[in-house]
Parts: sequence; structure tokens; C-alpha cells
Amino acid sequence: MKALRKSLDALYLISGALAAMCLVAILLLIVVQMVARWTGEVFPGAASYAGYAMAGASFLAFANALNRGSHIRVSILLNALPDGPKRLLDIWCFGLAAAIAWYFTYYAYWFVYWSWKFNEVSQAQDATALWIPQSVMVVGGAILAIALTDNLLTLIVKGEHRLTRDIVDQSFGE
Amino acid sequence: MTELYAIVLFLVVLFFLLGTGVWVGLALMGVAWVGIELFTTRPVGDAMVTTIWASSSSWTLTALPLFIWMGEILFRTRLSEDMFKGLSPWLAKLPGGLVHTNIVGCTVFAAVSGSSAATLTTVGKMSIPELRARNYPEKMIIGTLAGAATLGLMIPPSLALIVYGVTVNESITKLFFAGVLPGLFLALMFMAYVAFVSLTSKNWNPTVERNMSFADKLRNSRFLLPVFALISVVIGSMYLGFATATEAAAIGVIGALVLALLQGSLNWGSFQQSLMGAMRTSAMIALILAGAAFLKLSMGFTGLPRALADGIAGMELSRFELLMALLVFYIVLGMFLDGISSVVLTMAVVEPMVRDASIDLIWFGIFVVVVVEMAQITPPIGFNLFVLQGMTDHEMGYITKAALPMFAIMVVMVFVLIFFPDIATWLPDNLRQGPS
Amino acid sequence: AEKWDMPMAYSASNFHSENGMAFAKCVTDGTSGDIEITVHPGGSLIAGADIKRAIQTGQVQLGERLLSGHQNENAMFGFDSIPFLAPSFDDSAALWKAAKPKIEELLAEQNLTLLYNVPWPPQGLYFKKDVNSVEDMKGVKFRSYNNATSRLAELTGMLPVTIEAAELSQAFATGVAESMISSGATGYDQKVWESLTNFYEVDAWLPRNYIMVNSDIWSDVSDANKGVITTCATEAEARGLQASKDYTQFTYDGLRDGGMKVEAASEELMTGLRAVGDTMTSEWLESAGDDGKAIVDSYKSMQ
Ligand code: NA
Ligand code: NA
Repeated sequence: MKALRKSLDALYLISGALAAMCLVAILLLIVVQMVARWTGEVFPGAASYAGYAMAGASFLAFANALNRGSHIRVSILLNALPDGPKRLLDIWCFGLAAAIAWYFTYYAYWFVYWSWKFNEVSQAQDATALWIPQSVMVVGGAILAIALTDNLLTLIVKGEHRLTRDIVDQSFGE
Repeated sequence: MTELYAIVLFLVVLFFLLGTGVWVGLALMGVAWVGIELFTTRPVGDAMVTTIWASSSSWTLTALPLFIWMGEILFRTRLSEDMFKGLSPWLAKLPGGLVHTNIVGCTVFAAVSGSSAATLTTVGKMSIPELRARNYPEKMIIGTLAGAATLGLMIPPSLALIVYGVTVNESITKLFFAGVLPGLFLALMFMAYVAFVSLTSKNWNPTVERNMSFADKLRNSRFLLPVFALISVVIGSMYLGFATATEAAAIGVIGALVLALLQGSLNWGSFQQSLMGAMRTSAMIALILAGAAFLKLSMGFTGLPRALADGIAGMELSRFELLMALLVFYIVLGMFLDGISSVVLTMAVVEPMVRDASIDLIWFGIFVVVVVEMAQITPPIGFNLFVLQGMTDHEMGYITKAALPMFAIMVVMVFVLIFFPDIATWLPDNLRQGPS
Repeated sequence: AEKWDMPMAYSASNFHSENGMAFAKCVTDGTSGDIEITVHPGGSLIAGADIKRAIQTGQVQLGERLLSGHQNENAMFGFDSIPFLAPSFDDSAALWKAAKPKIEELLAEQNLTLLYNVPWPPQGLYFKKDVNSVEDMKGVKFRSYNNATSRLAELTGMLPVTIEAAELSQAFATGVAESMISSGATGYDQKVWESLTNFYEVDAWLPRNYIMVNSDIWSDVSDANKGVITTCATEAEARGLQASKDYTQFTYDGLRDGGMKVEAASEELMTGLRAVGDTMTSEWLESAGDDGKAIVDSYKSMQ
């Protein structure tokens, strides 16, 4: 059980770190493209690669952002309720969110499968086989779904979810 | 009748999901799913994934995380204190005091950033702690920030104007110029409101700033140099043809890193924190954008926005009546869609109406941007409200109330535009050439 | 009654979109509402790049797409965009006649049935200065958006710069780019006379927009309704072609009114460009194989 907990937390951390690296990749790609233009060189497909990195930076970050309480929700009702009903409402939220995330992941999987089967390639100059960058959507979607399910089960078993607020984020919030 | 049914259904499901606390991005996906499932026979899952992939892997979107990252880096430097040290001597004596730094800060940063959310994050991270430390009323801090950040869309460069210009085939350069004066005027109106409240409100008791001689003020202005150097580099790169709007964001990040390095506030720890913070904030926005893209598709399939626009077209209104009808229409639509989506969805029907009424399309672009700005701060779906909620932990209701006066000022701005159209058209008419 | 959604990529006022809306009305009226087509112009439902796949997978029933956008997937889709192979409306029509069987076969394999297609106005060269020979093009910053336009820049000694459509006007205004190849329509719509000065009618190629329907959905349509749709499509094709010709003249006049010099290219420039065209045709034939050769041979035999 402890091993599972540890590997799940590692999963969220690693995916977040990968997302951050995608952000750095966006920066580098754009800078290289710009410098290439200044010096009369060409970097074909830079815009597409930056787009894929953008997708990576988003999808891989979803679960990490969830656990750190970054995703926005309207919590007026949640805050107003006493503990028991609040827990039920939270179960509904995590349950529905997990269902949506799994639904998305399922269709994302088939979407990528058909991209691979149709041999779909990027229409821009990079001509990348699209199933490769699109896979981050399946991976990221699955990690988000896992994180939501993880929280849902913890909530049912232990009575509270595992979302926290980042201390640095709070430091400017106070 | 189907339309009415569709409107009611969308609203009920949306309010239910948002109200029960489902995360905004996922709630939008849920509403969109219900819409497509009920009103069409299309395969929902495929459409959902196609749309979400297209919107999430877009190159134009990359400016957003970069500007957010820039803000995260600047937040960890002394820039916020410096900007205050530089601006406060000049603004402190105005009625309304340092709250004006919110508005001036947003106006200045709007000239660097094309998005309202990025403007809000950067300026907010700098100004909220400073203003709170000086005991300014929380509602004014939050409200002015929510409102003034929308200037990011009006003052060029502007994502909203680019989308509008491409949709109606008008010159983006002209639109950019058209946005300058109305943007500055709107900022002035925000400042006038702050001054008015400070003079009439009883709970306006901020910490008094130290008195300063003119020479001291000038000397203190040196603290503004880093900020203005950064802004000059970012804007200059764009206007001198070294960089496109997206590339300017990358220049901004590098500039911020250099600035932090010079100030000695950049180390591995703070670099990592800024990066992880930017990663999470942009993920938050990306999830909502993904949901909004899917909702846009769903609404497109149901034909709802077009049906509403058709309804207005059928009323055969005079020019003024038409503008009023469009104002109400876009305010209502802006409550539920992000502004840019509502422009794209309806322009096909609205554009011919506006052309028929011989309304100048450049001027109308500015009209639309004011309305899009309003959509940023109207509930239940208002981006600036979400971002501020993430930054301050205040409830949506509180932030909405705080931003309400700014909303009212934007409504006034619409009438200013109608009665003094020159404010938008003078600059583009007199500056035919590009900005270089 | 069935409701069909028809996404189109270009703005509602574009002649392709107006033609598409007339086609949709023709079908809706002709089938007495059995099939009601709603047009979604300006990428408002689905963005241009995703329309083909959306039809293939049945997310929408039909839609419009510039097929040459898909030439990375299959070089054959780029047959209508080979520079200087078919440089006029008549040549373009002959080229399409030669290519039609192959393209329809290719589309059928992808679960797509072609209804009609309409050419864009011919592609010309935009510059910020007078250009009388390929030599004059050396070092000019040229907006490229795919492999073919990059190659064109390379072969003429220009510097290809990649600019996304949304930033085009700003890129010209600020000098990030100084030249592009596009139809008069694009320049007119983007009001490029604010930054560019010369347009040369080199008629490099006439890319086509294809209106396609999902084959599964098509096969379920009754014969009577198929007849109606086919008739409407034939009318739309003729109407679209005429609109494209009329619009070409209209946009040239518009560019002139905006203050641009609009003229035919000098013989020296054309000779240089045709040589570039020959190189690019043979390069295309390498990637398009026997099928491509069959099209070009058949087209040349019609000349
Ligand atoms: Na801006
Ligand atoms: Na809103």
C-alpha cells in the first residue's frame, strides 16, 4: 500500500517536471526560430514543435496542478456545508471529474490509434507523424484520471481528499 | 422553440455543475457533452478529442505560459518593490493613492502582453501584497485589478483584435492603432473612479506614504528603470520587426531572467519554483480553455449563438438600437463563453448586419473588444475572476462584486465610443503606415 | 428530415463560403427539407486543418478543405499546387480533368466522396520593391508556409521566414517579412497595400477547395436526394469558377485602388520562374511516383 502511494506521488511529480521541461522547450524553440530568422537560417516546423510542447506542458501538468490545488472550482456551497454533506458533495465532484477524465482518455486513446492507423502526418513543415505528440494527450489524460480516482478513493476511505495549496502560491495570497 | 429549450438546458446544467463545485474546465466539458448528446446525432467522444487537441496544441497559445512564466520570475525579484518605490512617489499624492499602481501597472504591462490573464497574473502578483501591506480596501485592490487587466486585450498587442481582424478581414495593424486611445481613456476612467471612491469612502485609511521632495521623487524613479528597460525590449523587439507577438513573450522571459540574475535573486531554487508555478498556472488556464473549446463546438452544433444573432438581425433596428441590442446580446453571451469564442461564433451573422448599418468595421472592432473585456469579469464564466480566485482565495461572488464598478465603467465606455467615435478611428486614419 | 453540418474554413464573406451557402440552400430546398445543411463558415465549428478528418470520422457529414494542405500525408494531394505547371484558369481545368479519377480514388479510400471543387484565384508574387528578374529576389524575406513555398524561396535565393496567418499583417508592417506568394484575394483581404507595393500576376498555381461528404453517409442517401445534391454540386462548381474569375479581377482592381502596382511579370522574370517550376515539378514527380507521372503526362497531352 505504501509502495503504491509512493509510486503514485512520484508519478504526479515526474509528470509535472516533464510538463515544466515542455515549457522550457517552448522557450528554446521560439528563441532558436527567432535567431535562425535573424541570421538567415531556416528552422522548418518550429511553430509546430512549439505547439506540441504546449500540449505537453498542459496535459502532463493537469494532475500535478490538481494535487496542488491550482485548478479552479466554485467552492461557495462546499464551504457552507457541514462536514458530512460536504464529504458527499466532494465525492460527487471527484466522481464526476474522474468519469469525465476517463471518458476523455478513452476517446483520446482511440483518436491517437486512428491517427496512427490513418498514418496522419502534420500538415505543416515538420510533417511529424501525429500519433507521437498526440500520445501526451492520452498519457496526461490518464494521469489526471488516475489522480482524480486516487483522490476519490482516499476521500471515501479516509474521509478527506489530498489536495493541498502551494505555500509559495499562498505567500502572495495573504 | 428548440433554441429556448437549449438555452435553459445549457444554463441549468452549467449552473448545477459549477455550483456543486466541479472544476471549471471539467464542468464546461460536461455541459458541452450534454449539449451534443441531446441536440445532435454526432459521435461526441471523437469530436471532443479532435477539438481539445486542436486547441491545446496551438502555436498561438504558447505566448500565454511564457508571459505567465515571466510574471513568476518577476514576482521572485525585487521588481515589485522597485515598481512601487518608483511609482508610489508620483501616485501617492493622487486621491486614491497607490491603488492607481494597479491601473498604471496593467496599462503598461498591456503594451507587452496580448492577453488579459497574463496581465492580471503579472501585475497582480506584484501589486496585491504591496497594497495589502499598506491597508488599502481589499475590494478596491481586487476590483481595479480585475478591470484594468482587461486592458491587455484593448491596448496592442491584442489576441482579441487579431482574432477579430482575421474573422472580418480588417487590417490588424489598423485595429491595433484603434485600440490605443480607447485603452488609455478607459484606464483614465478607472483612475477617476478610484479617486472618487477614495474621496467619498469612510473606510479609506491606507498607510500614509512619506512626503518627498521633487528631487527625491526623481531619484526614486531610478527604480523604474529595470521595468521600463524590460518593457522597451519586449515592445521594441515587436515594433522594430525583430520578433512577432509570440516571440516577444520569449524575449520577455529571457529579459526577466537577466533582470533577476542582475538583482541576485535568481538561483536554482527560485528558478525551479518559478517554472513549476508557471507550469501549474498555465495548466489551470489550459484546462479551462480545453473545456471552452469543446463547449464552443457544442454550441456551434446546436446553432444557439447564431440563432440569437439571427433573432436580432430580424428585428430591423436603427443604428443605435442595433448597437444597444448587440451590447446586451454580447453581455449575455459573454457570461457563458469567453469573449473570443463568442466573437468567432457570431461574427458570420453579425458582420453583415453591422456592414448594412454602415458601421465602420475598425470602430466596431473596438466596440467588440470592450464587450469582450466585460466578458472577462462577468460570472459564471469570466477568466479574470477565475485567475483572481486562484491568486487570492476569495470566492467568485466576492470578486464579482468587487469588479462590478469596473463593469459599469466599461458600459460607460461603450457610450463614449458611440458618441465620440473619433477616439477609436482618429489614430488609424492618421497613421496609415505600419508601426515601424 | 436530417440535419447536416458543413464546416468551411474561410470567412462568411469569402466567395467560397457564399457559394457553399448557396449550395446548402439548393440542397435544403431541392430535397424539400429532407436534408437540411447548415454551413459553419470561418472555421467557426471546426478549424480548416481538421475538417478532412472530421468528415472522414463522421463528426460532420460534409465540409470544405484545401486538399493541398494534406500533401505531407500524400504528395498526390499537392497536384494542384505545383508552381507554374498549369498557370491559368483553363490550364488548371485541364489539370483537374487529368487528375480527377486518381484523386477521387484516393478520397474513396479515405471514406470521402467528392461533391464539387472550386479553384482559388491564381497565385501571384507580392513584394516591397520592383522586381524584374529572379536575380532581384535574392535576399528578400519571403513568407513561407509549407515545404513547397520554402523550396520556392530556396530556388529563387530568397530567405524563407515562417509566419502564421494570424500574424501576417503585423509581420509585413514591421518588416519581419517582405514578400509572399498568394492570390490577389489574400492580399486584398489582408489589405497588404499598407506595407507592400508590388503585385506580379505570375499565375503560379490555382489551388482548389474541395467539398466532400462522408461516404457512409452518402451511401445512405436516397437516389432521388443524391440526384438533387449532385445537380446542386454541378451548379455550385460552375458558379464558383465564375466567381473565382470575377473575384480575381475585382481584387486586382482593389489592390490598385489601395495604391499597389499590379502588373504582369516581365519576360525575364517569367523565364527564371518557369525554370524554378520545372525543377519543382520534377521534384514533385519523385515523391508522387507513377500516379503523379500519369497525371502530368495526361495533362501535357491535352496542351
Ligand atoms: Na495588449
Ligand atoms: Na463572462
